[in-house]
Amino acid sequence: MTRGLGWVAAVLLMGGLLMAFGVAPREVTQGNVQRIMYLHVPSVWVAYLAFVVVFVASIAYLANRSGAADRLAHASAEVGVIFTGLTIATGAIWGKPTWGTWWTWDARLTSVAVLFVIYLGYLLLRGMIEDPERGARYAAVLGIVGALDMPLIHFSVYWWRTLHQPPSLLKPGSATMPPIILAALLVNFVAFSVLYVYFVAKRVRLLRREQEAFA
Amino acid sequence: MPDNWGFVVAAYGLAAVVLAGYWRRLVRRERELTALDARRRSRS
Repeated sequence: MTRGLGWVAAVLLMGGLLMAFGVAPREVTQGNVQRIMYLHVPSVWVAYLAFVVVFVASIAYLANRSGAADRLAHASAEVGVIFTGLTIATGAIWGKPTWGTWWTWDARLTSVAVLFVIYLGYLLLRGMIEDPERGARYAAVLGIVGALDMPLIHFSVYWWRTLHQPPSLLKPGSATMPPIILAALLVNFVAFSVLYVYFVAKRVRLLRREQEAFA
Repeated sequence: MPDNWGFVVAAYGLAAVVLAGYWRRLVRRERELTALDARRRSRS
């Protein structure tokens, strides 16, 4: 089943590329560099999704000490760190030609960097503690506390004056973008979400096999 | 504004390398665990 999911993700990613480069028009103000949006925005969506899953699975683990919930949190955090790293890197690459700088310590960028460090710390914490049960418990607490950064990231563009633009999609009311650009973005949202599910399913299975092999 | 295709290629190229690298890491780990299982089974 996981392999089938991988193929679906691959096909959807190809569709996403086709929409981003073949269907979506060249943006009037930024030119073709705006096509980075079809990669950058779905990446941050998956990062949010991953850390929400870590949050819920961590609560489930603390409530009933379920090994499956712990494995899900671990796998989702790992995938979330990768997509957060991609968000930061693609944002920097997009920022240089449009803002004139790779990085600035504005509220949105800094709060995403904090999120990246929190979940990198989460993975390091799991690796450092030898007792797996204690490691899982500490990681679950960090997974819950770390999720508090996500509302801060989302609302940072409203609460502080930032270089980063306010959300065009994840906000109340209708989207403020042409339908063809919205369609291209949505295809990439779906593709990245399926890729996330595939990676997490594969990683959860590996974690279970590792626990069985080294028990 | 110029199109800056170099930045577009860099962003998509980086994403391709990172995602393919992670996928390869998962596949390699799966093969290692399968080999370990096979070794244990042949010993017992």
